[in-house]
Amino acid sequence: MRLDRSTLLWALLVAALLLLVVNPLARLVWTSFQHADTGALTLGNYAIAYGRWRNVEALVNSLIVGLSVGVLDLLFGVPMAWAVSRTDMPGKGLVWAAVLGTFIMPNYLGAVAWMLLAGPNAGWLNRIYTSVTGAEAGPFNIYSMPGLVFVIACYSFPYVFVFTRTAFDLISSEMEDAASTLGASVWRTTRRVTLPLALPAILGAFIVAFLEAIALFGVPALIALPGRFQVVTTMLWQFFEFPPKVPVAAAYSMPLLLITVLLFWLQRRLIARKGYVALTGKGGERRLVKLGLARWPVLGYCLLVTTLSFFVPMIVVVQAAFAKAWGRGFSLDNVTLRNIRFVLFDQPATRDATWNTFLYATAASLLALTLALAIAYIVQRRLVPLGGVLTQVAMAPFVIPGIVLAIGFYAAYTSKPLVLYGTAWILVLAFATRFLPIAYANSDAAIRSVNPELEDAARILGGSRFLALRRVVAPILARGLAGAFILVFIPATRELSSAIFLYTTGTQVLSVLLFDKSDEGNFELLSSIGLVLVVVTVALVMTGFRLVGRDFMLRRTAT
Amino acid sequence: MSKLVLTGVSRRFGSVTAVEDFNLTLLAGEFVSLLGPSGCGKTTTLRMIAGFLEPSAGTIALDGQVISSPGSARPPEQRNMSMIFQSYAIWPNMTVAENVAFGLEVRKRPRAEIRTRVAQILEVVRLQHLGDRYPQELSGGQQQRVALARAIVVQPGVLLLDEPLSNLDANLREEMRYEIRRLHDEFKITTVYVTHDQAEAMVTSDRIAVMNAGRVEQVDAPRALYARPRTRFVAGFIGRTNFLEGEVRGGEVIFDGFTASAARFAETPAAGGRVTFSLRPQSIHLHRARPATSDAAVIVVGEITQRAYLGEHWDYTVRPAESALTLRVTARPHEVFEVNEKVWLEIDARQMAVIAEA
Amino acid sequence: MRQVLALVVTAALAIAVPVWSNAWAFDGEKELYEAAKKEKELTWYTAHYNTETAAAICGGFEKKYPGVACKYVRTTAQVAYQRLAQDQKAGIAQASVISSTDASHYGKMKQDGWLQKYRPKNLAELADAFKPFNDPDDLFVATAAGLVLLTYNTAAVPAGEAPKKWTDLLDPKWKNKISIGHPGFSGYVGTWVVQMKKLYGWDYFKKLELNRPRIGRSINDTVTMLNSKESLVAAGPSATTLESKGKGNPLAVVYPEDGAVLMVSPTGILKNAPAPNAGKLLVEYLLGRECNEIIVKHAQDPVNKHVKPMAGGKSIAEVKTIRPTYDEIDKGIPEVKELFRETFGI
Repeated sequence: MRLDRSTLLWALLVAALLLLVVNPLARLVWTSFQHADTGALTLGNYAIAYGRWRNVEALVNSLIVGLSVGVLDLLFGVPMAWAVSRTDMPGKGLVWAAVLGTFIMPNYLGAVAWMLLAGPNAGWLNRIYTSVTGAEAGPFNIYSMPGLVFVIACYSFPYVFVFTRTAFDLISSEMEDAASTLGASVWRTTRRVTLPLALPAILGAFIVAFLEAIALFGVPALIALPGRFQVVTTMLWQFFEFPPKVPVAAAYSMPLLLITVLLFWLQRRLIARKGYVALTGKGGERRLVKLGLARWPVLGYCLLVTTLSFFVPMIVVVQAAFAKAWGRGFSLDNVTLRNIRFVLFDQPATRDATWNTFLYATAASLLALTLALAIAYIVQRRLVPLGGVLTQVAMAPFVIPGIVLAIGFYAAYTSKPLVLYGTAWILVLAFATRFLPIAYANSDAAIRSVNPELEDAARILGGSRFLALRRVVAPILARGLAGAFILVFIPATRELSSAIFLYTTGTQVLSVLLFDKSDEGNFELLSSIGLVLVVVTVALVMTGFRLVGRDFMLRRTAT
Repeated sequence: MSKLVLTGVSRRFGSVTAVEDFNLTLLAGEFVSLLGPSGCGKTTTLRMIAGFLEPSAGTIALDGQVISSPGSARPPEQRNMSMIFQSYAIWPNMTVAENVAFGLEVRKRPRAEIRTRVAQILEVVRLQHLGDRYPQELSGGQQQRVALARAIVVQPGVLLLDEPLSNLDANLREEMRYEIRRLHDEFKITTVYVTHDQAEAMVTSDRIAVMNAGRVEQVDAPRALYARPRTRFVAGFIGRTNFLEGEVRGGEVIFDGFTASAARFAETPAAGGRVTFSLRPQSIHLHRARPATSDAAVIVVGEITQRAYLGEHWDYTVRPAESALTLRVTARPHEVFEVNEKVWLEIDARQMAVIAEA
Repeated sequence: MRQVLALVVTAALAIAVPVWSNAWAFDGEKELYEAAKKEKELTWYTAHYNTETAAAICGGFEKKYPGVACKYVRTTAQVAYQRLAQDQKAGIAQASVISSTDASHYGKMKQDGWLQKYRPKNLAELADAFKPFNDPDDLFVATAAGLVLLTYNTAAVPAGEAPKKWTDLLDPKWKNKISIGHPGFSGYVGTWVVQMKKLYGWDYFKKLELNRPRIGRSINDTVTMLNSKESLVAAGPSATTLESKGKGNPLAVVYPEDGAVLMVSPTGILKNAPAPNAGKLLVEYLLGRECNEIIVKHAQDPVNKHVKPMAGGKSIAEVKTIRPTYDEIDKGIPEVKELFRETFGI
């Protein structure tokens, strides 16, 4: 009888994973080989996709962007993580809040802000420069490859920060003490001991930043197109112009998929070999490095980065949201509530989109977490055979760029037998799949932190496994899970890459609304919508803090 | 009346055999320890008794009914057993009282009864004023006692303990040993106790099953285990011992350096062939002058090669004359000898046990 | 007796009708209104106006016909069509009315059988200049018009130096200072490119590229670029530019000597419209007086013959306009999209 129950459970989970992960991916690969009209198998799509140099160039551009963003993110994130984790730098709370703010801010909103700041002719920074130096034109041009890299890096460095900080937190001071008793200075110790110990995490973070960068859609659409160059994601969007050439789009996205799989595999090899820094142990005591006078430049650097990513763009967004005409700049006669009023009251699309955004994000987060928890629990307690396979499939969406996943979902669920297109479900499921890996990683860690003996104790006293889960495991996990929920929820609210293909008028979300408005050039309206999104998200995160405590984002699991 | 019977129980994990052909019968109210080094299979056996694992072969029967066999096992929640885990497994999200009440709630006892019984058991384990505390606020020893209270209050048919004292410091361990035995005596629960610490096993148990590499080496009462170890492993694992190999020839046993008449020994070794004895260090007494001859003793002369003073006793290493043997001897604190001093060893032959070589 | 009563009532009504502001303006309006009230919400995909204008139109519509909800979705022509195409492919009926600015879309929609036949009663209200652009089979009707002309920022460019004709944009002095849209996204820009090619051949754009224009997506992007001084001159829409000027921004329009490009944008009702009667009502409304008065307030050009354009702007009839034919647009836009991508790289 027990065999039957666990088999049923396994079948259920497999079905869920099939629906969410395997089917879209399989359909994507299959469609890439299908002729658009006849359905016959052909390599023609690949020929079309990569036949033109322009298309290949887009792929090359994506790779350049990915590598550059990875490097820049390391430059931004690693020193900040080191400063916050291991030194006595002042103002850590402020820096941490600013990093959090950066995480909440949608990257396409940041891109808009930077367009207002660094447009080559009218950007504020350039205007200030020309008025101060009297030059013809300012040096900043956001519509360029460096501009694109910069904006993407601004909004992906929080990942690097969090990963690296966690690794630094776990290094015991004893490691550094051993070096200093042998005469090494602070900087030498950091270079020769601390950094190498955190190297696997740093490399992992680099790979994550790379993957993020090449899979982005919103920011390149805003910046690269006026800058006259394409990347893979904007090229894919073009393939979806009417009539949508889905097979060609599928073929075109294959290399992207392969690259991400390769990198992911690379990352796994790196970490498996070197081993995480004392993730198994308690890490030992951690003393802070005394920086002396150096702490001011260090703090300055941290604040500089967050100013660029958060403070200044926020000011720009707020100004534009309340401006009659943003180009008129800061003046009292340029202030109006008209945009906000329009966005909140006169435009029914905003209300609907806001409601949809948070509803879908909540549904997707709950779905992803529930599935992830179920799989993590079952795999760790070894209740089913082939648990490793379940884990692999659950983590697979990590390597699939959002836009590619959306195309897969589109290919799989826009035609019979299961038509989800046009419903909210296709969005919810796509989001849930997209964020399943994050949910799984957190669930896995959370369940690992619960000693199985706690459940055994409940069972031996007469409680069923379900009772043990309900009365013992769930309450203990609650805190950690609230944190995991928020880590999935926030990205889900501003997800653009996968939503852009799957939404319809009835299921529009704020990210798409914002993006659609950007083609009208109405930055005041756009900024108002962005402000609404940020404010509501911040409110929810604050609530989360209250419920869960300030450490949730650092994934410090309850001991 | 036998309460718990394990017959031919084995457990394999892939190609590794953790437990092999385990046979044991517990009478109602008995306290039996499974003693052995880590990896010997004792915890695996315990978990099979609890129902968390199925045996690969053999059966486990409770009150005459088979509850575990290959391919089927009654789930743990239906065995009416209690278990104390190495980590205590006290639930951090519940108070002490709630922890203890859990088993009674599952058994759907009326609220008033639960309250009374919880209060009673907390008094028994001397935690009566800590009912509303959370586990994080308690010391290790107190958490231990919460685990005990929780396990006992449901009046289980069998109580299982998995190395419960290994996380405590030495003094506390000693105190808790007595405590566990005392609770057992008061409630007369059939108990299976897993440990690697022989002192714990000796103090608490009616019988001890010594395990090594998945197999049972010997099951006996503590004194019999100590005095009459059956195998080299048991002799060496329980306390320290000297192994003496000898040859039986014509009514005498010939050792390296001395001979003794076969009649002196408690167990007469089989005639002809080699035999190994286990000789406890306490069974040798040291004298400055040759002691009087007796039927029970074997007198050998020798020399002190090493000594160490441990406060409660001396630990001497003695080499008998014309022998390559090194004998460990335990002497009382006032029996002081110098290294290289010549001594007389009075060996109590009745304490020597014949070892069956594997 | 009954006949007399009927006569009296009809006479009374005939007198009363012009007096009422909410009187039934055309034959059958009341029935249409009653039927529309029973239907679900009307969804209108439009690229014809900017968001604010579309909002104002829907607001006016709802005010005139209480109980009928109007939901607009304003996007560029390309996106509107894409949304519609995806809906149709998946068998979803979402939109009831489609107003694209890309005339070539209508040929395809007609071919694919997406539109339903309706001859608006208010057709008489349509200015004669636009009547040739209606579909002979009554599948779509022109409801919006606009001009693409030369626009510039008055704070940075003195009136004397502003471009006077399209070829003035090729002057090297405007290098890095020009803003245009993208024919791949915008129907207006598509039509403009086709017209320019007709006038000057594709060479025009090859030379334009030497000036490195800033390429956005919608034709309305040009207004933003000018406002922010990111660009100084543009090929922009008369309506949005003048509306922005009306808000106090330093903008001006120039009616090109070689002709402003006339945009006539049709509207069609979908065959599988969830709210067909409301859709029909909307089309009538778009042709009617109230709607055109609203759009004039937003600086758009009216199509109703009775409504005057806003002060400061010239009516379409007064201006030299040029325009490609339907066929030229139909075949031309897909062709120029490719050429554009080749020449400008995106």
